[in-house]
Amino acid sequence: MARRDGIAALVLGLVAGAVIHQAAALPFGGARNPGPGFVPWWAGVALAGLSLLLGVQVVRARRGPGARRGVEAARGDWRRVAALLAALALYVVALDPLGYPVSTFLLVLLMLRPATRRALVPALGLAVLAAGGSYVLFAVWLQVPLPPGALLR
Amino acid sequence: MEILSLLAHGFAIALTPTNLTYCFLGSFIGTAIGVLPGLGPPATIALLLPITYGIPPTSAVILLAGIFYGAMYGGSTTSILLNIPGEAASVVTCLDGYQMARQGRAGAALAVSAVGSFIAGTVSVVGLMLLAPPLAAFALRFGAPEYFALLVLGLMMVGYLGGGSMTKGLMMAVLGLLLGMVGLDPIMGSPRFTYGVFKLAEGFEFVLVAMGLFGIGEVLVNVERRVAPEVLKTQIRGLLASREEWRAASLPLARGSLLGFFVGVLPGGGAIISSFVAYAVEKKLSRHPERFGRGAIEGVAGPESANNAAATSSFVPLLTLGIPGNASIALIFAALLIHGIRPGPLLVSEQPAVFWGLIASMYIGNVMLLILNFPLIRLWVRLLEVPYRILAPLIVVFVLVGAYSVNNSVFDVGTTVVFGALGYALRKLDFEPAPLVLAMILGPQLEAALRRSLIYSHGDLLVFFQRPIAATLMALAVLVLLSPVLRWGLERKLRELVEPVAPRD
Repeated sequence: MARRDGIAALVLGLVAGAVIHQAAALPFGGARNPGPGFVPWWAGVALAGLSLLLGVQVVRARRGPGARRGVEAARGDWRRVAALLAALALYVVALDPLGYPVSTFLLVLLMLRPATRRALVPALGLAVLAAGGSYVLFAVWLQVPLPPGALLR
Repeated sequence: MEILSLLAHGFAIALTPTNLTYCFLGSFIGTAIGVLPGLGPPATIALLLPITYGIPPTSAVILLAGIFYGAMYGGSTTSILLNIPGEAASVVTCLDGYQMARQGRAGAALAVSAVGSFIAGTVSVVGLMLLAPPLAAFALRFGAPEYFALLVLGLMMVGYLGGGSMTKGLMMAVLGLLLGMVGLDPIMGSPRFTYGVFKLAEGFEFVLVAMGLFGIGEVLVNVERRVAPEVLKTQIRGLLASREEWRAASLPLARGSLLGFFVGVLPGGGAIISSFVAYAVEKKLSRHPERFGRGAIEGVAGPESANNAAATSSFVPLLTLGIPGNASIALIFAALLIHGIRPGPLLVSEQPAVFWGLIASMYIGNVMLLILNFPLIRLWVRLLEVPYRILAPLIVVFVLVGAYSVNNSVFDVGTTVVFGALGYALRKLDFEPAPLVLAMILGPQLEAALRRSLIYSHGDLLVFFQRPIAATLMALAVLVLLSPVLRWGLERKLRELVEPVAPRD
């Protein structure tokens, strides 16, 4: 827990530094007539202060009695998360050129990958149903102009 | 008398076939997502938000509100029958509800939970109906300094009550404020944090942030864990409680309803906290606290009525002050904004159809939920048999297509995915995303109120402490901010007083 809090304090501290730096470049104004940089600058300072406070809490927790006895959260498989994020990033890139139905079909099939080894036909069916059903619902019924791709253009 | 005629007008709106259908749909979908773990009301409301763009505002808010309070009903069913809380607000119901089910008293637990939810929901709607108009009239006296003080208090409360560390809650609130500042400055219109990206000049669309954080973020967390729930099936013998059980549950039901109503009104309060507080109160008041955790019906009645009452009363600050108290309500706030309706003190007088139509739909929705929950219990339990590996792609598809439909833009889909990754990272680092979402939606209002107050007072910060309402709100905000320090000091003092003096040799 303390390690994760330490990482969070560091990352958000860096974000705060970047915000203060960026806000300083905006017209600051003054208390009588605050400019566009006034509130972001103070918000950056507040975030920096809170990050520092979290950092102090981490150090105190490590030094305090009972340190290292904390229960670590159950670890999952981060590779599944990375794979899904990569698939989503590819989906964003492919959405316009391939079109909504094809790219959504591929994304769903990819997400059902463990099932496709055992039951390919149901997985294909679900992918077609998800892509086709959502296309009919949004593009046909709700008139959302989803990118059709070369197949339907 | 006037209130009754306004309510009658509300019923005339809510009872139209279209609005009845949306009310039923909202209650049905709400119960279903309440049953399913891993898909909460904020994610579902975010998913369905794009669908509501094409329907009238009253129907949209009736549908989304139905999802929110319907989820409270659904969450209890699986807590009692399967020891799986579908909703965070039903976690505490597992303690005694499941024990009752194991003892063959599942029917009694379900009956008390459903009827208690109905009573609490209805009591809370009455409270909302009576409290909202005078509160809205009072809020009309607010100027910029009062609004700023109110928003500061709201954000402090969200940080304090949001669960977990207050430091982390406040960090999320500040991050949300900063995200709300991306785009054009609200007073002068100059661009901030846009880095030359044209799309960023419009700021981050709130719906995309919510869909990413709650929709994609939730899926990523569940995909990583992929823990199959251990379903311990139990018999449902009848759906009625005995006279003794009703007698034992009656006072906890009444207390839970009132407590839930008042906790729900607080920003950051809401259903989760109210259910835990109600459980603690019932245990404290019981003559046999040792029965709690072993199938005490009071342990089901109190929390279940409290979470339903809180879900309804959390509409009070939204409809009267324009301040959403939790993430689901923030999404309903966004839905109203999208329809050109600004929630706040003027809503009751300027949009009576929306306000009274919603109130009337809540009465109807509670009756629908009571009817839905009894005969369909077996259906809800079967819903849990749908594997998450099938549910996850469907949720993702709905999020992505919903994100696209906001502005018909692929950039928005990318933004949602990025916020999904952020939502996952925040959960891994034990940060609650709710304060971020609330602060993001309140940020522009807070900044405008602060800058207007300072311009009006010629830079005198005392403007927040010289006007009585603003001063009271600021004093409360300072008290909330200092509460961890005050509590620490008090505990230390008490320990010093209680600690025995070391014996001398």
